[in-house]
Amino acid sequence: MSIAEEVSFTPRRKPVSIRSIVNNAGIGLALLVMIAFFSVASEHFLSANNITNILTQITINLILAVGMTFVILIGGIDLSVGSVMAFAAVVAGKAITLPGLGPTELIILAVLAGVVAGTICGVLNGVVSAYWSLPSFIITLGMLNIARGAALQISGAQTIYSFPFAFEEFGSLLVYGVPVVFIVALALVVIAWFVLNRTVFGRLIYGIGNNEEAVRLAGHPVFWYKVAAFSICGFTAGIAAIIYMARLNIASPIAGIGFELNAIAAVIIGGTSLSGGRGSVIGTLLGAFIIGVLANGLILIGLSDFMRQMITGVVIVVAVILDHYRAKYSAS
Amino acid sequence: MPNLASSPLLSVTDLRKSFGGIHALDGVSFALTSGEVHALVGENGAGKSTLIKVLSGVHMFEAGEIRMDGDGYRPTSPHAAKVAGIQVVHQEFNLLGDLSVAENISIEALPKTKFGLLDRKEMNRRARAALDAIGLNDVDVTAPVRSLGIAHRQLIEIARALQSDSCILILDEPTATLTERETARLFEIVSGIKAKGVTVVFVSHHLEEVFGICDRVTVFRNGKTITTENIADVTPPDVVRFMVGHALEETASDAAAPAHSREVALAVEGLQTTANPSSDGISFELRKGEILGIAGLVGAGRTEVLRAIFGADPMLSGRVLKDGAPLTIRQPRDAIAAGIGFVTEDRKDEGLILEMPIAANSSLVDIGTVSRWGLVNFAAERAMATQGGARLKLKYGKLSDPVSSLSGGNQQKVVLAKWLAGNPSILLLDEPTRGVDVGAKAEIYSILRGLAAQGISMIVVSSELPELTALTDRILVMAGHQIQGVLDRSEYSQERILQLAYGQETNSERKTA
Repeated sequence: MSIAEEVSFTPRRKPVSIRSIVNNAGIGLALLVMIAFFSVASEHFLSANNITNILTQITINLILAVGMTFVILIGGIDLSVGSVMAFAAVVAGKAITLPGLGPTELIILAVLAGVVAGTICGVLNGVVSAYWSLPSFIITLGMLNIARGAALQISGAQTIYSFPFAFEEFGSLLVYGVPVVFIVALALVVIAWFVLNRTVFGRLIYGIGNNEEAVRLAGHPVFWYKVAAFSICGFTAGIAAIIYMARLNIASPIAGIGFELNAIAAVIIGGTSLSGGRGSVIGTLLGAFIIGVLANGLILIGLSDFMRQMITGVVIVVAVILDHYRAKYSAS
Repeated sequence: MPNLASSPLLSVTDLRKSFGGIHALDGVSFALTSGEVHALVGENGAGKSTLIKVLSGVHMFEAGEIRMDGDGYRPTSPHAAKVAGIQVVHQEFNLLGDLSVAENISIEALPKTKFGLLDRKEMNRRARAALDAIGLNDVDVTAPVRSLGIAHRQLIEIARALQSDSCILILDEPTATLTERETARLFEIVSGIKAKGVTVVFVSHHLEEVFGICDRVTVFRNGKTITTENIADVTPPDVVRFMVGHALEETASDAAAPAHSREVALAVEGLQTTANPSSDGISFELRKGEILGIAGLVGAGRTEVLRAIFGADPMLSGRVLKDGAPLTIRQPRDAIAAGIGFVTEDRKDEGLILEMPIAANSSLVDIGTVSRWGLVNFAAERAMATQGGARLKLKYGKLSDPVSSLSGGNQQKVVLAKWLAGNPSILLLDEPTRGVDVGAKAEIYSILRGLAAQGISMIVVSSELPELTALTDRILVMAGHQIQGVLDRSEYSQERILQLAYGQETNSERKTA
């Protein structure tokens, strides 16, 4: 690749440059190639309408993936976000359909209820897995079932609907063709980037993923940092639930099935290492775009949804193989 | 018994093996006679483990020759070594805990029925025979290995090793985890298998064991074999002298005279760790500006003492007093708040975040002073790292380079810088110059002495005696999680330290003619 050649001109900075380029620009490049390909292959791909479509489609996955980035950076995984999103949606749905309140109160109440419900699930994930040093894979698998069951129980397995008009309108609002819900997701990316790159908390999140023992011996409360990472993931699942409700105007207890896998895929394609400590939320943004563009573009050029699924799978595997070489580069 | 002198079972001649620039084996020669129990002794890093790894096919040797039964022997894999008849029982067990004793014993060659299925009956029969052969009649072959004690697991490893037609059995520190009774049982079994014509190589730090069951002993020092003696012809103090070597006697008297005061900076009283709850506890004092060394063999409990003081591992009982006031240390942050720093033994696993920049590693402990409201002040962080780097003469390209790009010595300086950033009054250092080249070592010594002159008190755990004698004002010698003795500078000698470390101090005065 031409990137590697460029880098070899500045040998002293080689390890850093290769890493940053492969980590960020590499994914961006792949995305650009993909966009170029689809815009040639399909005349509709670059239409304003379709772009709005893509942005709307990737919003929920992007929001979930932002929280997931924190968890994966500390070397964990959260399999529960899809179910937690449904649980938060049902809780928010119950709140927003309470009788005897005005639409503004209802909306505020619903947003709070949904976000709190999601965050509580995240706190539980974090406390249980960090306190007993249990693999988060198992704990969040448990939460996947608990939250789904709770969503079904609370809703009586019924879809909740008829929300205030202002709320439903927010879900399809466009600003210069950009969905407002996507702007919310983008704002979360910016906040997460700031937290990860500018704060002590973010620094230690990376530190824990790299070398938890070193961070502990340096006197930092590793337990709370881990709990915080899972809590952030639950929080974003709560936000995703609100966005989901606003977009579809329903709160379904069977929403979000399999969403956790898409979120994880976005994070991994974005170059965050599954073993933690390396990656960025910008990568996650690009990863979510790659999945979304792929899904949209492949359908546009006439492939079936089954083919789309297969190709998305291949992209995930290729991303992990690239990550393997990335780890090798940075080790040498 | 087979003929002794004429043809050795295995002979090693001038064997050499190096890792990077380090000569792990630098001329090793010895011979095994059929049916003997042959001890290999030497300090940590003297080359015993490397030799075993070469013999068992883990490492290839570079020069020299090994002959077995008169033929050249050059194993390319552990399997090849086993086929040739060399079996090793390692200190860390290679047993599968959830499988049965029988399955573990037969794992290398599981018996099959004529349909290709596992023949449990035959497997259990073979296991029974293998256990009976070493006198383990009381162990049920169908019991999972996990349900057995450590001693039994060790014996099962031996049974497994003997089950294949091995003619040489290497026991690597077999008694490290055993109680006295279990050790006695092991020795009975060793005598039993010796009587059957198996040759046993016995690696141990415990000289009384070597003198209890071995016929001959080969002494290693700095990757070389020094001598092979009949046990009957030598005494334990002789062996210690061979291990130390006269050339190494006392070279470090040039260090500055102790400048520390009589004031006690840190007092440890009756410290017990989870690693050894049965010991009586450890008590000692560290004076202001003093560098106190802790010597001892691997497993003597030195690191555990540091970790317990620092709160890295829980303390079972005992007190730590700083400047006369008792400290409550439940976790590392309590120790850090009390002004204690801990340079860990393993900088890659415990000290550094390798992929992160030098600056971020330097500020890892004291990140509070270079941040405000949770936001990192990058300029202040760079200033801190620059200052720490200058203080320790750190050689680096840019502060934003990952710390993994530095040499071992400079990485260690970053670890030091990280702890010094918070101006601690006490530093605990575990193997401070491991994996550091000679030049950087000298530099680190002078840095540490400079820190001591500034009034920082230090406890240094090291396996390198020249390091301890060069650097420290006093040395505590530990063995078996106990303090065996405390030596002042005037009393330093490698021989004396090793005798204490090997628990040989009572014999040290008795010298043979």
